[in-house]
Amino acid sequence: MTILDDPGQGGSREPGAGGGAEPGDQPTEGLAFDPRHFGIAPDEPWPDDVPRGQDDSHWRFEHDPGRARIAELRIAACWIVSLLASIGIAVVYVTGAQNQASGILWALAFLGIGVGLILWARDLLPGHDVIASRGRHDASDEGNRWAVAESFARGLEPIARRPFLFKLLGAVGGVFGIAALFPLASLGPRPDRNLYHTKWGRGVRAVTEDGRPLRPSDLPVNGILTVFPEGGMEDALAPTLLINLGDAPFEIPPSRTNWNIGGIVAFSKICTHAGCPAGLYNVQTHQLVCPCHQSTFDVLEDCKPVFGPAPRSLPQLPITTDTEGYIVARSDYTQPVGPGFWNRG
Amino acid sequence: MSTTQERADTQKRFTLAKKGFDEADDRFASSRWFVSVLDKIFPDHWSFMVGEIALDSLILLILTGVYLTFFFIPNSRDVVYAPTAGHVYAPLVGQHMSEAYQSVLNISFNVRFGLLMRQAHHWAALVFLAAVVFHLCRIFFTGAFRKPRETNWIIGLTLWMIVMLEGFTGYSLPDDLLSGTGIRVIYSVLEGIPFVGTWITYDLWGGRYPGTTFITRLFIVHEFIFPALIVGLLSAHLMILWRQKHTDFPGPGKTETNIRGSRVWPQYAMKAGGLAMIVSGVIFALAGLVQINPVWIYGPYTPYTVSTGSTPDWYVAWLDGAVRLWPHWEFRSFGHEIANPFFPGLLIPGVVFTLMYLWPVVDRKIYNDHERHNLLDRPRDKPFRTGVGVAAIVFFADLTLATGDDILSNNLHIPFERILEVLQYGVVIGPVAGFLIAYKACKALQRTDAHPIRHPVGGMIVRAADGSYHTLGEAHAPHAGEDGYVEVEKAEEHAEEHAEGR
Amino acid sequence: MIAALLRRRRVLAGPLAVVAVAVVVGSVLFMAGGAAHGQTGQSLLVSTNSSDILAGQTLYDTHCESCHGYEGKGGVTSAPALVSVGAAAADFYLTTGRMPLNNPANQALRHHPYFDRTQIRQLDAYIAALPGITGDGPPGPAIPTVAPLCSSPSGSGGSGGSGNRSGSGSGCVTLSEGESGFALNCAECHQAAGSGGMLSKGNVIPTLRNANITQVAEAMRVGPKPMPVFGPKEISNKEMSAIAHYVEYLHQPASPGGLRISGFGPIAEGFVGIVFGFGILLFAVRMIGTRG
Repeated sequence: MTILDDPGQGGSREPGAGGGAEPGDQPTEGLAFDPRHFGIAPDEPWPDDVPRGQDDSHWRFEHDPGRARIAELRIAACWIVSLLASIGIAVVYVTGAQNQASGILWALAFLGIGVGLILWARDLLPGHDVIASRGRHDASDEGNRWAVAESFARGLEPIARRPFLFKLLGAVGGVFGIAALFPLASLGPRPDRNLYHTKWGRGVRAVTEDGRPLRPSDLPVNGILTVFPEGGMEDALAPTLLINLGDAPFEIPPSRTNWNIGGIVAFSKICTHAGCPAGLYNVQTHQLVCPCHQSTFDVLEDCKPVFGPAPRSLPQLPITTDTEGYIVARSDYTQPVGPGFWNRG
Repeated sequence: MSTTQERADTQKRFTLAKKGFDEADDRFASSRWFVSVLDKIFPDHWSFMVGEIALDSLILLILTGVYLTFFFIPNSRDVVYAPTAGHVYAPLVGQHMSEAYQSVLNISFNVRFGLLMRQAHHWAALVFLAAVVFHLCRIFFTGAFRKPRETNWIIGLTLWMIVMLEGFTGYSLPDDLLSGTGIRVIYSVLEGIPFVGTWITYDLWGGRYPGTTFITRLFIVHEFIFPALIVGLLSAHLMILWRQKHTDFPGPGKTETNIRGSRVWPQYAMKAGGLAMIVSGVIFALAGLVQINPVWIYGPYTPYTVSTGSTPDWYVAWLDGAVRLWPHWEFRSFGHEIANPFFPGLLIPGVVFTLMYLWPVVDRKIYNDHERHNLLDRPRDKPFRTGVGVAAIVFFADLTLATGDDILSNNLHIPFERILEVLQYGVVIGPVAGFLIAYKACKALQRTDAHPIRHPVGGMIVRAADGSYHTLGEAHAPHAGEDGYVEVEKAEEHAEEHAEGR
Repeated sequence: MIAALLRRRRVLAGPLAVVAVAVVVGSVLFMAGGAAHGQTGQSLLVSTNSSDILAGQTLYDTHCESCHGYEGKGGVTSAPALVSVGAAAADFYLTTGRMPLNNPANQALRHHPYFDRTQIRQLDAYIAALPGITGDGPPGPAIPTVAPLCSSPSGSGGSGGSGNRSGSGSGCVTLSEGESGFALNCAECHQAAGSGGMLSKGNVIPTLRNANITQVAEAMRVGPKPMPVFGPKEISNKEMSAIAHYVEYLHQPASPGGLRISGFGPIAEGFVGIVFGFGILLFAVRMIGTRG
């Protein structure tokens, strides 16, 4: 199904042959319109400074009235489809706007009009193949180029003769431009030590999403749970993973020997790469994977990154138990949690 | 052939039209301008209509977007989902969520045609960006950016950048799990900017992530700042196009100084209107039949939840892919650091866009071509440029694939580690290979074109209407005339020397 | 006359084709959304009947002992000891067809069950009885009992504004509790729509589309490697039941808007948008415009 055949078919002319419909030519089938033929325009030459092109007044079915009629009916049928679909839209709206039905009807309403227009343009409109001069829109003549340069230079002269004022204006403008940025600084507070701290701290209990404190025995071997500092759910840097490694041999630096409770360790859930929760835990390899960019951390080796773009280990949270036996933090994280930032160092 | 009645009707219509335009002319002296508008000629090649697809989807985006703003509440205030009337989405009842997310649920479940409009808006964005990218490639490979059209190349690239950001801000607004994850990554990328990163993020978010103001601000960016920029730049883009007239492929009867096609009135207008309707129809068919971004399945965003397979929409996937492929490098010294996501998230796109902005200058140097061009190149006639374009496509495709690494991994049963490693090599080797293959292919196609059987030396023999035969010069040979073969060869040699020289 | 008829048919061909394509595509997509609903999970009490245990032992000796060893004490290969894995593990691995496994080094993935319902009951009974038979090791988790779904979406407690996270005390659970627990504990691996994904080292995260309520509950309690364990103190029985119901809900969610491709995320949506949106439009402009 071709909607448009080679437009040259209707009335291709030899390249560069010129000619074409002169103003005095006879109109074809009454379709080529020239008001002078109807005695309603002054019989004077058209302005020739506007490139108007040479008309190709032939149209697809001009010699086949039968097919032209069919084309007309076909277009009408398209628009009837659109009309019916439009009524359908009203009906569907009243009956609850079921999504698929609505979508089909909206699509039909649009497509009916669109296909009809395309068919009309293809089958019943002349003039698809017109040649005209591009005119002189991409370059002016030399006289105009001189004129603009002269106008500008004339105005520039008295300004350029005061270089001090000219340069001062530039400098003042620059400084004011920077001053004008200050309102933007009100958009937010100064970056503070906030980025270095979380709601964890000495003796803060680790609680579940629904606020329950946990005992070490609540976490089975190979169990993993996201915990929060009690009363600090809203802290986006605080979510922490409690993992029970059981008797799997894990290495942590000597300075952190009392940071775990038996096999239970706590690491930040916030990926050090781009801040997504790195929570895909593989108990066979004891690796944590971040679903955003596939950074992989080895829990047995201090959560150091073993694959992907993460540049640093997940920070470890020192934990112990309080007098009631619940898991608490020994302190806040000892390094900033999450992705790097300029002042981090 | 026309009857008296028809002539009378024609006369009446003409008189009416004349009267109307006279009224305008009395005020604006507008007749000559109207003539140039109505008689304006646009070439009809199909590939020139892809830009129109982009324009049509943009119009649809604006219309559906305006509709959605009537219902969307850009507020991150915490609410509990407890609808008292209308459809209730059971799995979220009683849950905490932002007001923004709740309003998107309301649009989806309780506004008649709301879900359809939301889905049409999202599908239109995906189609829009596809059309923009195709259009960009067409401009590049056919050399349509050459003098005098460099300005429109620059405006076009800027538009591409803004519409990508516009799309991403839209993806981020519903405050579901997916969009929140995207915002988190953007925050991390911005946070890593040297010197000003933390300031910028604290200003944009009004404090430490996630803050309470960001959705409101993002909304202003998405529905006012970016759209205003897009409409402004697009107007300039189209006005320049209008003034400079469209380029066209070389062909019989086409020269640098003429233009061949359909008039705006009525042929082109009717086709363009029809195409706009068809674009809308296809997008609404998708909106009705294929679900897109079911935010109720993803659930409300919290900083501690995430879904595997979280990716951005396809048109910014190359950026996310770059973030995945960039090695675990970052730089730390003097108490400061440049964080890892900054390099792939901002530096690489910065370099890529700078190269693209500069390409018209580079191209002019390579081909030592300072002429104005209205006729397009065939890609095969400029192997070096085509090679560079193919290399760029391979580069972007490799990064986009990297974003789909977990989906590929899942379906091909290959560990994602292997896929990412292959793509890391691919992002370096692929473009080089793409360049070489495209370059060779162009050369081979040129030789095919030059074959005497396809294009007889000395022109074509044509039979005229009166039965006589004559030879039509060499105007039909692709390498003859203004874009002469000899000149092309010279330019290519020049390009090779240039490449070797570096 | 015939020619005229033929012509008339041509008149209608264009618009009819538009309608026909829309109707066919539409109805296919409608049907795609209407598949059968999954069966509700029933609580399975493990038999303590000695004949069942004996039958289970026979099956065990034939099919399992070569890897898992005599009386589940562990074999020469890397297959784990089964003494205290409990009936939940046996039932999970057998009803999902993960066991028997040809090569213990491979990840156990879902297959059509090898044993029939009765055989699985017998094997469950045998595994559950193992701690008693061998006299060492604590009993493993029993097959969990899943609480029913509440009839009203806000739960019988009518907690309303207070959120869903605190238990309402009554026996039933809500989908909302399930969604919340799923989002926190499951979606990061199994994807928000339960379509699965990949772990490191090529370990597959299975889709949950075929998992029934009991299997989901069992998996949480058992932790079929590489999945972690979620014990009853981490995720209460109530929350476990809610999550299991939500996973079943995800098989056929009340999710309007057309063909569901949410399981594959925005990249798949982009593919559809480019191929079926932009691709069709490219085809259209090829027809509208000239070529040459």
